[in-house]
Amino acid sequence: MSTITKRPETSRRRFIDILLGTGLFMWISSIIYPIAKYLVPPEAAILYVNSVEAGTISEFPPSSSKIIRFGRKPVIIARQRNGKFSALAATCTHLDCTVQYKADTEQIWCACHNGLFDLTGKNISGPPPTPLARYIVVVKDDKVIVTLEEMI
Amino acid sequence: MKHSSVALLILVIAAVAYTDIPLTSDACINCHRLLDEELEPGEQILKNVFKDIHLQVGLSCADCHGGNPDAYDDEDEAMWDDPTFRGEIARMDQPEMCGSCHSDPQYMRQYSATVKTDQIDQYWTSQHGISLRNGIDKVAICTDCHGVHGIYPVKDPRSQVYPLNVPSTCAQCHNDAQYMGEFNLPTDQFYLYRTSVHGKALLDRQSLSAPACNDCHGNHGALPPDVVHIADICGTCHVNNNRLFQKSHLKNIFLKRGFGQCEACHGNHGIKKPSDEYLNWEHGAVCVQCHKSAGNPKELADLFYHTIDSLKHQIILAKELVSQAEQKGMEISDLYFPLEESQKVLIQTRTSIHSFNKDLLLETVKDGFKATDEAIQGASAALIEFDQRRKWLFIFSLIITFLIVVVYFKIKDFDRMQRNKNQ
Amino acid sequence: MGIFNWINERVDIRGFSEFAFKKKVPVFYGTIWYYLGGVSLFLFAIQVMTGILLLLYYQPGAATAFESVKFIVSKVAFGWLIREVHAWSANLFIFFAFLHMFTVFFAKAYRKPREMTWFSGMILLILGMAFGFSGYLLPWNELAFFATKIGSDIAGAVPFVGDFLLRLLRAGDEVTGATLTRFYGFHVALFPAIFTVVLGIHLVLVQVQGMSIPPELERIPEKHRRYMPFFPNFAMRDALLWLMVLNVIALLAVFFPWELGTKADPLASAPAGIRPEWYFMFMFQTLKLIPGHIFFIEGELFGLLLFTFGTIFWFLVPLLDRKAGKGQRSRFWTIIGVLLIVYMIMMTLWGYLV
Repeated sequence: MSTITKRPETSRRRFIDILLGTGLFMWISSIIYPIAKYLVPPEAAILYVNSVEAGTISEFPPSSSKIIRFGRKPVIIARQRNGKFSALAATCTHLDCTVQYKADTEQIWCACHNGLFDLTGKNISGPPPTPLARYIVVVKDDKVIVTLEEMI
Repeated sequence: MKHSSVALLILVIAAVAYTDIPLTSDACINCHRLLDEELEPGEQILKNVFKDIHLQVGLSCADCHGGNPDAYDDEDEAMWDDPTFRGEIARMDQPEMCGSCHSDPQYMRQYSATVKTDQIDQYWTSQHGISLRNGIDKVAICTDCHGVHGIYPVKDPRSQVYPLNVPSTCAQCHNDAQYMGEFNLPTDQFYLYRTSVHGKALLDRQSLSAPACNDCHGNHGALPPDVVHIADICGTCHVNNNRLFQKSHLKNIFLKRGFGQCEACHGNHGIKKPSDEYLNWEHGAVCVQCHKSAGNPKELADLFYHTIDSLKHQIILAKELVSQAEQKGMEISDLYFPLEESQKVLIQTRTSIHSFNKDLLLETVKDGFKATDEAIQGASAALIEFDQRRKWLFIFSLIITFLIVVVYFKIKDFDRMQRNKNQ
Repeated sequence: MGIFNWINERVDIRGFSEFAFKKKVPVFYGTIWYYLGGVSLFLFAIQVMTGILLLLYYQPGAATAFESVKFIVSKVAFGWLIREVHAWSANLFIFFAFLHMFTVFFAKAYRKPREMTWFSGMILLILGMAFGFSGYLLPWNELAFFATKIGSDIAGAVPFVGDFLLRLLRAGDEVTGATLTRFYGFHVALFPAIFTVVLGIHLVLVQVQGMSIPPELERIPEKHRRYMPFFPNFAMRDALLWLMVLNVIALLAVFFPWELGTKADPLASAPAGIRPEWYFMFMFQTLKLIPGHIFFIEGELFGLLLFTFGTIFWFLVPLLDRKAGKGQRSRFWTIIGVLLIVYMIMMTLWGYLV
């Protein structure tokens, strides 16, 4: 082969190699980038639906209550005068209103149609047809944790 | 005499062979079953008598009607000659006849420790009782509602006064224009109730928690509730609405002018599921019944109306965006919580209107907008992410396609080198 | 080249590179089938990489598995991509591995001296399916839960040891969180360990013995046969195909995502349309069609025995097909292969359409 025909071949080969290098670089970057992003842990923590930290015990003085988010569902945590905790599904079984804690009578009350539940979740008066689901409250190192019943 | 009783006995035995009423030791039943045979089904009295709670607890015909249930073969001995025999009870006498047992706590206690014994006393205070005392015997007496010769306990679904059956029981008379004619009372209550939110809940959805006639009017002491007490009655279930209204400035004005509190805006028997249009001043506002002129009341109604309207729009928007994001396969299940929250706040906001207090409503509605904002932002982020995925894919595909083309030329190049080498 | 020389001075690796450059790939009408093994290998590599990435956030256990997968796909940047690529690449791996196995079968490439390559390949295919079965449960969603329940139920029908197998799989009598922990162990430790060893043997055998060619081509004199160098000509073509497959995976991941569904609830009743993954469908459908009793044995057991002996039979094909060993094509085995493919496709379609 003469040098005349060889020249364009080498320059073309060099050109292809440059393109190949560029392509490889872009391709590797497009793979490294999502992986690098993936490796950075996100700010939000994993939401475990089986137990939720409701706050510290100081946020629950006796005769108080708080509604927390338990997965998709609201849960009402009530603390009685004697310091005992109860946690119940906060959605009334009648027409899905959110219930509240009546500290004076130590009952759960639904304001929509005057439904009453006791602190075990049992429907005791008014329209609610079934009891409220129960949750377990565990106090651990002055943290109030709500868990599903079957976890214990 | 002897002859006829033998014949009767044979007849009785024959009758037993083809009726389903069992033979008893009660002479009243044994004879009256034969009489029933000759009557139209509607007039037979013994058809359901064995299901009657009174017979079930051991009472007999004679306990109400008197007579001698042991006199098998002599009609005179059983009825006409017996001093206790009362026969058919006159309507006027009937409440006291029932009351002879039902008003006696000591007697009733043998059947139930918790039984009430004030029904007859209450009855005499009712419009039914008062009219009966005045000699009008067309009004309802015990048996009209509870039935006769087949009375079921109130909690038995077959009872005429079981909650689901109460409206039609009352309607037997109150829906009959001809029957009610002389009392100058309307007869459209049942029709109105049937189409009302309560009637639909009770009769269509069979929700026993929904009110029947007696839940507002009382039962034994039935009276139309007076203006002062209407809110108490509605407030039995609609607690918050009542609580807010009682604190509002409108309460005293309503009472002074004789407006039926809740009823003034919501109506009574035909009460519909309240609509937000009740606040729409231009079209359908209930306020304009009294507030003829615009001005402050209109401003307040407009504020209520538009606040609720904008929350509703936000909720619709949020739901739409969330469902769009979900249809596109994005993981947005966390957004159902704020969606439900906003729905809840919408109800609370509607309730807060009964305070007729602008600040309370605006305070209540805040959480709703916060919740819809959370859902809208979450769903929008998911939708943007969805588009970004496609953009990312497009760029990635572009890079790969470029690389594929280059590699293809490289292969050609290698192949050419290979061929050259072979040559 | 500096590093190459540096290493070469210490360990003689020139032999390897010479071997790679000397290796030739036959060029004929069937060259295209040589790419299938490479694609499967590439997909396996993707599985290893994405699998390791998923491990960084995944938390096994009934209380955490579903939540952590949900966390990966909704909160972690590109977490959805990693999971979708892992899921799609797994399915494509099974698909290409099956294709690879059948092309090898019809090309009679299993004949002497490549019996061991066939055996190791079959082990890899079965392991691949085991990977799929165990990985399917890991997100702990409703569909996976019930598919696992049914799948492991079948193991219970094995005579004598069925009960033991069932308890071994489920770590108890029911599918519970303990099953999940066990499947997780299988999926990320046990199976990868075995797979890596067998894959190593498989690849070494392929490299050492070179590419097989169909018996009829073997009769053509060496000088008339055409070849291309494995490196770089064939390897570059491999890379080209891999890039295309990667792009297809990205496309599938974006346009046809695998939905997470709802969390498994052991107390809920099975939802309608519980199906195994598509590569188990032909077996699932067969078991469904077998009557309650065949002769004196139970239908389920019959089906199970059928598949067990079928698999053993298929595994031993290199030893059974004596004609291939002599460099002849046996029509009998070709017909059996065609019948098997027709059967698998028909049953799969039946399972999905009916």
